[in-house]
Amino acid sequence: MKTILSTDTMEIPDGVTVRVKAKMIEVEGPRGKLARNFKHLNLDFQLIEGGRKLKVDAWFGSRKTTAAIRTAISHVQNLITGVTKGYRYKMRFVYAHFPINASIANNNTSIEIRNFLGEKKVRKVDMLEGVTIVRSDKVKDELVLDGNDIELVSRSAALINQKCHVKNKDIRKFLDGIYVSEKGTVVEE
Amino acid sequence: MPFKRYVEIGRVALVNYGKDYGRLVVIVDVVDQNRALVDAPDMVRGQMNFKRLSLTDIKIDIPRLPKKKSLIAAMEAADVKNKWENSSWGRKLIVQKRRAALNDFDRFKVMLARIKRGGAIQKELAKLKKQNAS
Repeated sequence: MKTILSTDTMEIPDGVTVRVKAKMIEVEGPRGKLARNFKHLNLDFQLIEGGRKLKVDAWFGSRKTTAAIRTAISHVQNLITGVTKGYRYKMRFVYAHFPINASIANNNTSIEIRNFLGEKKVRKVDMLEGVTIVRSDKVKDELVLDGNDIELVSRSAALINQKCHVKNKDIRKFLDGIYVSEKGTVVEE
Repeated sequence: MPFKRYVEIGRVALVNYGKDYGRLVVIVDVVDQNRALVDAPDMVRGQMNFKRLSLTDIKIDIPRLPKKKSLIAAMEAADVKNKWENSSWGRKLIVQKRRAALNDFDRFKVMLARIKRGGAIQKELAKLKKQNAS
């Protein structure tokens, strides 16, 4: 059945400006600017109360379009925290015998992984735009990925993880790899 | 971007399809998701699909399902007829009707008037061109 109108609003914190035009949302804050395109959704986005709130409407929507309202709001909330606090994903090296040798290249935007499981193959992963990677100095075998856009940071972490999959072995026994250990923000509170 | 003309009781709409094409009606009740009960001073109250209606900016203040007398009184109070005829949409429709009702002699007169108007415009344009060139 079609629900005549389903709507939801979200608060926009101070210090962040949001611009909406034709389902393209631009968020600007202390850490920079982020933009996202929602043209694939059948929703109405409008700023009310002079930019303090964002209202999302779905007119005559099926169950799925009504569900998309809340996800769109979550995406915008991620944009806002990205632009105010940033995203920091931490990854740990896990190895049983062969120490994973990683070097950061290209002024913190790419990583080279050697000696994974003793293999001669060198794995190189380029970080996506706006994401920096750094070898943590205080903690042994840790990588820290920083960035504003959660999609790009988490995807870079996934790329690193996927480059270090073990092949042709029982993965319950060969647990080596680089795994995401913590998902947090750059600015702690 | 958000919608400004809502389907509500008292919304004035224009019928854009069917037997009552071109008539201004008032929505007096909503039957279901697709149909409304519409009423106008000179027609029997009946149901109509929303697809046959084009909403206008005009809205009058009526309770649900008013009697014909109170509907006519509310339309007079809100001055729907004059508001419609003075709006740009309403004026365009009036001009379209007038043009469709021309007979051959009228069209001939219109042609002469257009030529005369064109001549006056060209005269002024030539004057301005001469001023600019000098």
